[in-house]
Amino acid sequence: MKKLGFFASSLLAVTALAGCGGSSDSIYMLQNKPEIDAALQAFAEAYTEETGVEMKVTSCGGDLCQLGTQLQADIAAGEAPDIFVIDGIPAYEQYEDMIADLSEEPWVEDTDVAFKVDGKVVGFPVAIEGWGMAYNKDLIDEFNALPGVTTIDVTELTNYDAYMEAFEALDAEKVALGIDSVVSMAGGAAGMSWVTNDHNFNSLLSAGLEYGDLSVVEDLLEGTVDRTRLGYYADWVNLLFTYADETVLRTGGYNEQVGAFAEEKAVFLHQGNWVEPFLGDAEATFARGFAPHGVFPASVQETDGIFVAAPSWYVVNAQAPEARQQLAKDFLTYMATTEAGHKYMVEEAGNIPAFKSVELSPTAPLSVSVQEWAAEGKIYSWNQYYFNGDFRYNELGPIYTRLANGEITPGQFETLMTIALEGYPDFLANL
Amino acid sequence: MIKQSSKISLFFKKHQKSLVFWGFLAPALLAFVFTIIIPFFLGLYYSFTDWRGFGTPEFIGFENYIRLFTAGGNESIRFIYSLIITFVFAAINIVLLNIISFSLALLVTRGLKFQNFYRVGFFLPNLIGGIVLGYLWKFIFNNVVPDVTLLASGESFLMLADRNTAILGISLTWGWQYAGYLMMIYVTAIQNIPQDIVEASEIDGAKFMQRIRHIMLPMVAPAFTVTLFLTLINSFKQFDVNFALTAGGPSTEFQGLSLWGTKLISMYILDTYQVSLRPALAQAQAVIFFIVLTVISVIQVQYNKRKEIEA
Repeated sequence: MKKLGFFASSLLAVTALAGCGGSSDSIYMLQNKPEIDAALQAFAEAYTEETGVEMKVTSCGGDLCQLGTQLQADIAAGEAPDIFVIDGIPAYEQYEDMIADLSEEPWVEDTDVAFKVDGKVVGFPVAIEGWGMAYNKDLIDEFNALPGVTTIDVTELTNYDAYMEAFEALDAEKVALGIDSVVSMAGGAAGMSWVTNDHNFNSLLSAGLEYGDLSVVEDLLEGTVDRTRLGYYADWVNLLFTYADETVLRTGGYNEQVGAFAEEKAVFLHQGNWVEPFLGDAEATFARGFAPHGVFPASVQETDGIFVAAPSWYVVNAQAPEARQQLAKDFLTYMATTEAGHKYMVEEAGNIPAFKSVELSPTAPLSVSVQEWAAEGKIYSWNQYYFNGDFRYNELGPIYTRLANGEITPGQFETLMTIALEGYPDFLANL
Repeated sequence: MIKQSSKISLFFKKHQKSLVFWGFLAPALLAFVFTIIIPFFLGLYYSFTDWRGFGTPEFIGFENYIRLFTAGGNESIRFIYSLIITFVFAAINIVLLNIISFSLALLVTRGLKFQNFYRVGFFLPNLIGGIVLGYLWKFIFNNVVPDVTLLASGESFLMLADRNTAILGISLTWGWQYAGYLMMIYVTAIQNIPQDIVEASEIDGAKFMQRIRHIMLPMVAPAFTVTLFLTLINSFKQFDVNFALTAGGPSTEFQGLSLWGTKLISMYILDTYQVSLRPALAQAQAVIFFIVLTVISVIQVQYNKRKEIEA
């Protein structure tokens, strides 16, 4: 009897102790850029040494892990992160109850691109990012040095026709240049469809328009499709797919796509400056920058710009205990206002800073290129996040893949996209 | 007068058997109730609401179910496609896996040298977890096979770029792992066949194929009930390899809609919950999945049991 009593009470004690989890001196951060994971982990460790606050950082992005999925799993498990990432209005609305008001934070005055809703600031801008047709300057120079070719001037690639000529010319000299294909483009594999149905889709929404011009977006949100514009866009997508490496396009993942560019097996890369950490790891020393985007025929419109924005924001979990919220806010403030934070953002993570007071400049070639385009004001906005993520992935994604697999023609691509886009208001109503 | 402590020890002694019984059963039973029974009924409840994963759910009756079967609705088209493609996947597996594993079982019971080594070898892939298995074969299908076929025939073969070969790819990958397990079941059954019957048939002049058809198959029939059931159920439950290998796979067209072509039903339900962020709808899909699976497995087991008795 005594033994039973002792056993029972010790069991109780152990259970009670097990219930004490989650110390109030630690925060959990979930972010979606695998490219900066190493830098961020090191920064978090340094922060812990400096302040004693334990940091758990998980990076979930690219093609093997989706932040939305991980976030849902963590919320369901009762271990929601204290800091996570949103990328636009639909994401904000999804997690509205969980997002804290950051309007009183010290860095708010220092940036123009914080995420604001109803006049209050809720998102800490992670970085200024740009994407477009990254290109290998060394390979272009090598091409221009070949006998008998018409030289390519990358600054003149501002429309569909110029790109078509350039791609044809480069493709003819594939062997001489040692490349597998002119463009490294992915999006066929389901895990990479963010390249097509998010980024590339955005060129339909904002290429050629003034920065912040939402006219195409607003029409599409109502289900009104400009078929002429869509037709040009279909031809542009088809051009990219035609001159892409088949394996990388149809089944390649993040590593394959960026790897091909890093190993100089492709002249152009359809990605953004965020891949610089990967290129650095791969010891890619060739000169590179961003070429202007093309989309429309020369007679219709020139698109001399690339896509630049602060596309994602850190948000603080409003449902976490007050103490943890404050720790999270302190971490973000540290990142934005201290020298160590600036050094991390610019030099370690290679980000273009979203805060005006930062004096450092990134040195990675693609990031430098983005800053140059931004300085000249030749930028287009990122508008794809006005559209629901499920719609982009499940309705639009497969259409791109069917084009990539040669199952449909650009004409059919245009028709299917039209049907899908015209059905967008119904899609929203059915949610 | 009996002392208090003796009364209690008398109680323990009298009910010792059932105490031991319940003592051992209780942990497993509790775990079962908490992880299967309660979530099942909770899920059933949520499928009749508009639950968003957090907040308070509102009762909406059969709306989720109606949405899944509304002709022409995108959600319905995708759901039905997922069910159909999972059926096809299960059918392929039932035929392919069982032929392969039965043949392997025959092979390793013929008294060959190093027989045990082969048995272990065929069984080893079973020890690899599903996700790792998927990534392993993804590398093979996406990086090795295209390069090899390019060298051999000048054209890269992309197994995972076409919906049909991608399904076959999932089948091969999972089959590579599971065939060893099924083989072991068949080996046990084959080893239990009385040798005198086989010898008698050989004396009577029965050829190899006749022996297989008329002696081995009927005597191994109970094993078929088990292996067919396992293959069927596990095909429907397949997620790890599906997720790691194709992630929903190349796109295809069904009833005029372009959709992801290799989203087997388990992955489809999970995606509805986590990617589309529609937990209540996912629950409704899961309930229908449960009903379909129960009906099929009951039919299959009944059919096999009847065949067993006949044999």
